[in-house]
Amino acid sequence: MRLTRREFFKVSASASGGLLLAMQLPGCGSIPPGTRESSMRPNAWLEITKDSRVIMTLDRVEMGQGTYTGMATLLAEELDTSPESIEVVFAPVDPAYVHPEYGLQATGGSSSIRVTGEYVKKAGATGKAMLIAAAAQLWEVKSESIKTVEGICHGPGGQKASYGALVELAAKQSVPSDPPLKPVQDYRYVGKFNKRLDANPKTFGKAEYGIDTELPGMVYAALRRPPVFEGTVKRYDASQALSMPGVLKVVEVSRGVAVIAERYWQARKALQAVEIEFAAGEIGTPSDDDVYQLYADAIEQGGDIERDDGDIEKALTSAEKVVRLDYKVPFLAHAPMEPMNCTAWVRDGQCDLYVPTQAPDIARAVARRESGLSASAIQVHTTFIGGGFGRRLTQEYVAEAVSIAMHTDKPVKLIWSREDDMRHGPFRPSAMHRLTVSIDSNRQVTGWKHSIACPRILDHFVKDAAGAVVPSWTPQFMVKMASSMATVVNPDASPTEGALRLPYTIPSVQVIHAVADAGIPVTYWRSVGHSHNAFAMESFVDEVAHALNEDEVAFRDRLLDGEPRHRAVLHAAAGKAGWGKPLPKGRFHGMALHESFFSYVAQVAEVSIEYGQIKVHKVVCAVDCGQVVNPDMVITQLESGIIFGLTATLHGNLTLERGAIKESNFHDYPVLRMNEAPEIDVILVSSDNPSSGVGEVGVPPIAPAVANAVFKATGKRLRQLPLKLS
Amino acid sequence: MKITINGQSKDVEVAADTPLLWVIRDELNLKGTKFGCGMGLCGACTVHQNGVAIRSCITPVSAVAESSITTIEGIGNPESPHPLQEAWIRHNVPQCGYCQSGQLMSAAALLATNASPTDVDIVNAMSGNICRCGTYSRIKQAIHSAAKTVRQQS
Repeated sequence: MRLTRREFFKVSASASGGLLLAMQLPGCGSIPPGTRESSMRPNAWLEITKDSRVIMTLDRVEMGQGTYTGMATLLAEELDTSPESIEVVFAPVDPAYVHPEYGLQATGGSSSIRVTGEYVKKAGATGKAMLIAAAAQLWEVKSESIKTVEGICHGPGGQKASYGALVELAAKQSVPSDPPLKPVQDYRYVGKFNKRLDANPKTFGKAEYGIDTELPGMVYAALRRPPVFEGTVKRYDASQALSMPGVLKVVEVSRGVAVIAERYWQARKALQAVEIEFAAGEIGTPSDDDVYQLYADAIEQGGDIERDDGDIEKALTSAEKVVRLDYKVPFLAHAPMEPMNCTAWVRDGQCDLYVPTQAPDIARAVARRESGLSASAIQVHTTFIGGGFGRRLTQEYVAEAVSIAMHTDKPVKLIWSREDDMRHGPFRPSAMHRLTVSIDSNRQVTGWKHSIACPRILDHFVKDAAGAVVPSWTPQFMVKMASSMATVVNPDASPTEGALRLPYTIPSVQVIHAVADAGIPVTYWRSVGHSHNAFAMESFVDEVAHALNEDEVAFRDRLLDGEPRHRAVLHAAAGKAGWGKPLPKGRFHGMALHESFFSYVAQVAEVSIEYGQIKVHKVVCAVDCGQVVNPDMVITQLESGIIFGLTATLHGNLTLERGAIKESNFHDYPVLRMNEAPEIDVILVSSDNPSSGVGEVGVPPIAPAVANAVFKATGKRLRQLPLKLS
Repeated sequence: MKITINGQSKDVEVAADTPLLWVIRDELNLKGTKFGCGMGLCGACTVHQNGVAIRSCITPVSAVAESSITTIEGIGNPESPHPLQEAWIRHNVPQCGYCQSGQLMSAAALLATNASPTDVDIVNAMSGNICRCGTYSRIKQAIHSAAKTVRQQS
């Protein structure tokens, strides 16, 4: 749904008698006539109360990426108030908050500021224009003569009125169709404000995450799922468990067997006492070798050509030299610190969900499928999220909670154990890459062929998401149909993202996605396709530079004609790191460069080998993410992406063994800790371009930057993640 | 069973093997202490037993009956913050924030015994706490900064 500027906001009734701006929705929205999403403040974006409280409805979720602060800063800037004075509430499910690019109320793709940041600015500018109009009417002066500073209107004759004092009159003004946004040079907060608005509750243990939900009469559930993917329950015996303290019920649901108990620990303990016999499912019991063989076969067979410039076959056959190499990456867990959880309360024909989710409308669609209730009977209460990284876009944990909660009229809090999270996914898909370049007798790279074998995430994602994309009164059988057609209608761009848009000037380029899916559940994982494409591409570019005996930075530079933003970050990172200058003994530099989510990032990793182990000492990172909203939060997001990416670089590995994941917790799936965390130096390369992504963009370059440094340190090319020297 | 938490004595009726974590969260409704791994591997559940940092997810409640337990709610509040909490906000430490109660409790136990920790001291004290958002460099800066405050105050 695209909204034209003319119909953007309308004034809506505010319970407190203040000014409430809600999104004007076109008549053909996804709500059937006669029903109404029950919400205190339907479609609201901005409310200003009579006592001057400014309340912003955050259309996206906050999972650490800083949208909460960024959006509040944009609103404050346009409204002329301070970001710290803004109260933020999380949006309910409503068409007003659908992400216009995804058609879902989803948070992902490092897109919030870039996409709906515009709506927030517009809400601020609209509100300000109406307050000014009210003051002008009150004081009988021209609007142009009124100044707004920190929540107060100032008139030409020294008149003063707080926003709260003007809201009643402001609500009677006509809504301006296109109020002007501030020019960049007038910004007071954007690009300057450096605080984090949710730091306070998160520092005092007061931020409420989904797992902190507390409801009267609430009970707890733990669920055991089949150890192999797509497995089923053959039979179970709950007699012993049922006699244990606090146990209320043992129930079989589509995903396994659950214990419902008065307390979580009682449910966990009793679950151990349930004897369950499982059977393997349709996908059988594949191991990693089977999956990689599937990928290798898919590459041999060709695949879908997604980009084809010039004549790659001619380039390869007429080449002086051809370099061809394979790269592999494993399945990865997201392992956010807050385990999956959902509190579901199904009673009297209604359902309430309290859930940390990246897509509340998918949560509702899933609850509708499981419960048979209508969409309007289901309320989703969104909370702070203890890490998302894409994991909470897939919502089988919501389906589980609802299906368990249907066995009681009490609210049920389902909590996954860490082992559940490691072993049941969904995961970042494993993948195999085959890269080939042709080099002519003048040492020019004439051709680049990149074959990527991995599943389509969308094939897995649509099972839940289809229910949220179709109108909410669609019968379930049609939702299923839509889900099976979705990937045909709307192909998945993620397998080739970052690979299609090769920045290097090469006359013949071919990019192929060889679809190969072993049936292991997969989903979006921080930076998605970029997370493995950048590893393969930037490791390979480095290898080609070495094959030509050229400096890796100079080599990249000479292939970046027409790519000024790539060049700028490449040189900024190289310069700050002291590329080419002597390093302490035993230290080596590796470079990688990657564009993702419309931002440009170059990283130089400084690495040594200590006792046979790779040690990353320092990372210099240059980023161009367009207009910066909060400089320090951009820096912290890049730091975050680098640490997250380093876990995948050095440790991240799930082993698929006979249909099940071997790893179970942080002892065998280690993640980076402080003792391994390098010093990180982030450089913000100034840019007049529109704001673009920051939450994920730090991840892609770090693995190849480290791998390229390891090569210089050891002479060994490591072409598989995680990087292991032996 | 009686336990002393944040200076108050509380009666709880739970099985003796119940991990302290679930007693704190669900019997006493102090939700600042978090569940992360259930195996003492991530540190999200860190609290103090007589001032020493422990992992409440693997500590049976029976093991703390005679002790004084402190949680994140007990070390400071917005009106009267712990110097570490002030530093956490100043350095923009939290991102998703979920692990930060545990990080703060580990850091508070460190500062209580070492007012001038070196980088190595901090790494040693804090490497048991995982942060998936990767806030480690900010945590380090914030601990140094809070230590300075503590030294100036004393």
